[in-house]
Amino acid sequence: MIRRYIFVTALVLGTVDAAGAVDKQVVRLWQTETEPQTLAVLNQTAAEYEKTHPNVSIKIEGLAWGDLERKLTAALAAGAPPDAAHGQPITCVSFAAKGLLRPVDDLADSMPKNDLVDAFRNLCRWDGKTYGVGHSPASSVFVYRKDLLAQKGLKVPRTWDDLVQVADALREVKDGQVVRYGLTMTGQPLFINIGVGELLKTNGGRLFDADGRPTLTEKPVIELLEFYKKLNRVLPPGWTGHAYLDTFANLANGKAAMLYQAYGRGVGYIEKYAPKDIADPEHFAVADKVIGPSGKTPAAQLDCEPWMVFKDAQGANEAVDFLKFFFKDENYIPYLHSVPIHLLSIKKSTSRNPKYADNAMIGKWRSWIDMQEKYFKNDWIKPVLVTDWDDMRKPYLLEVMGSGILVDMVLDAVKGMPSAEAAAKAQRRVEELLASAGYLKK
Amino acid sequence: MRVRAGAAVLGVLWILPALVLIGALILYPVGYAIWLSFLDKHSFFPAERWVGLGNYLKIARDVEFWDSLWKSAVYAAATTGLQLVLGVAAALVLHAPFRGRTAIRALVLFPYMIPTIVAVIVWRWLLNETYGVVDHLLLRAGLVREPIVWLGVDHMMTSLIAVSVWQFTPFVVVSVLARLQTIPLELYEAARVDGAAAWARFRHITLPQLRAVLFVVVLLRSIWMFTKFDTVWLWGEGAGAGREIRTLPIYAYMRTFTYYQAGFGAALAVIMFVMLMAATLVYFRLYWREEEVVA
Repeated sequence: MIRRYIFVTALVLGTVDAAGAVDKQVVRLWQTETEPQTLAVLNQTAAEYEKTHPNVSIKIEGLAWGDLERKLTAALAAGAPPDAAHGQPITCVSFAAKGLLRPVDDLADSMPKNDLVDAFRNLCRWDGKTYGVGHSPASSVFVYRKDLLAQKGLKVPRTWDDLVQVADALREVKDGQVVRYGLTMTGQPLFINIGVGELLKTNGGRLFDADGRPTLTEKPVIELLEFYKKLNRVLPPGWTGHAYLDTFANLANGKAAMLYQAYGRGVGYIEKYAPKDIADPEHFAVADKVIGPSGKTPAAQLDCEPWMVFKDAQGANEAVDFLKFFFKDENYIPYLHSVPIHLLSIKKSTSRNPKYADNAMIGKWRSWIDMQEKYFKNDWIKPVLVTDWDDMRKPYLLEVMGSGILVDMVLDAVKGMPSAEAAAKAQRRVEELLASAGYLKK
Repeated sequence: MRVRAGAAVLGVLWILPALVLIGALILYPVGYAIWLSFLDKHSFFPAERWVGLGNYLKIARDVEFWDSLWKSAVYAAATTGLQLVLGVAAALVLHAPFRGRTAIRALVLFPYMIPTIVAVIVWRWLLNETYGVVDHLLLRAGLVREPIVWLGVDHMMTSLIAVSVWQFTPFVVVSVLARLQTIPLELYEAARVDGAAAWARFRHITLPQLRAVLFVVVLLRSIWMFTKFDTVWLWGEGAGAGREIRTLPIYAYMRTFTYYQAGFGAALAVIMFVMLMAATLVYFRLYWREEEVVA
């Protein structure tokens, strides 16, 4: 009798649940903001949206930034992508060119045109249509310990050579052991790709010519590899194995005096792990990116993943509708405040909103935000592997990044291969890659 | 006659589920991979182009392939060899009677039981040259003057081999220990009466008795280490130095999911399969020949 009761109850509950599941449109969103407070805000926004859209269920999943492209690709190969996702701008262009995305002009048009900085609005355009709208822009920044430079009477480095010299001078040795390195950098493949594009830009270089052919044997690239060789002598010996967060740990706990590839997000680590009396911008200051021997202006990486909506997604329209809701100030400002120095606004009107400015962290670390905004205004920022905005018309940068060829090129040089040889090897490999995919004639 | 035919049909019906499972889970994927290897196919688009042996010819000229093959061979040989030596030694120790033996036997299994991701994260912490315990202890003991950069380009493969040996040696220990417990004690007693020392007893009794189990262990472990993906991937994950451990399975994955060349990736997988099949056949033949000589 009891068994029959349990069976019937389970059957009824199962039927009810199944019926509910059929009625609700589940919308899956993959995004790269994985900090608990950000996920909490996003889930709260989803809950608010669901109140007025009872037939929609928003499922937000956080993915590690470095894993995003691989996981999206695997999901696409399996035929089960999410409805919408963050992606690097070059990912978005690559997917748009392959016909995998739904245009999101309706999402872009829901915000006044003159309210958006063009760079954020046009992050992902293909064949005259918008395929991605950036969720929040940030610029990579160069961070240094102001107090340590002052103690040694050193000036903030301006050029590549300065950086090596200052890093060398900042290294501290005690009882034969290095207790502080002058500089820390991550060896994560994604960040080496970012570094190559960014440093090449500061050296007046490029990765591709107007015909889309790689230009890795050009002088600025050779100089870049020579620079990496010099950096290798002043960086911690294990830097090629250091993750992005390791470098923040090195900076915050005093094991390194400068961090080349930092982001506003790092402020949270400084506040948490650095001694309380120095966890401020007076000690952890930002400066312009250093300029290479053939370059004229600094350059940084634009960290602004566009929201992409997949063409065949069942919940594509609902995803766009939810994203319009997400960009409303009452939802967007709490999102930006969840990582305030990193998640900046894509909308000028939000930046001007007093509610946005009313944040203690923004007040305290204003200099970090000013530095990023300076790069936005001067157009000194570009997405990963993009040295010129025209590169955004090349749909194969994702493949180049994923292949790891540029990472191999840097490591070949760092391990002692002559720079010209490492560059020529990488050039051959990229040419083969592009030719095999039909992007380049042999 | 009718009865015999009916029995045959019944027999086929009995093995049909197994045949269907083998076909669906083994033959179809392998067959599909072989078919895919003859195509130029993007990883997530249905369009495909027949290229015959084109992918294989490209692989033959691909420097990265030969580099990955060499790394796979080094990794598989070093880890299998070390697991074998350490596993047999540990099994011999655990076979001898001593207090706390049962607890130690249980403890030895521990590395094999914990999930790979946990093992990798813990060892990456321990071996970090900035804040890891291993370098700290080595420095304090005066064994090294500078921290060893286990996760850098120079020692990435060494540290991976060490962690893999730590993780998978318990398999050898358990296999060998189980066989040791079935060797008749009379053999050792007779040898003792004849005046055989410990080394002689090991060489002339234990080792021959372990032949069959060692054959299986070497076969399985070398196949598993050659095709090992998770530990290798996680160890090199997120590090530029990870290319120092870009073994063949990792390279096949990269070609499929970052170059988007599913055909090329499948060809790499087929090459791995053929190489392992060939090595296994040679290994079997050598074993049988030796068995015949012994017999």
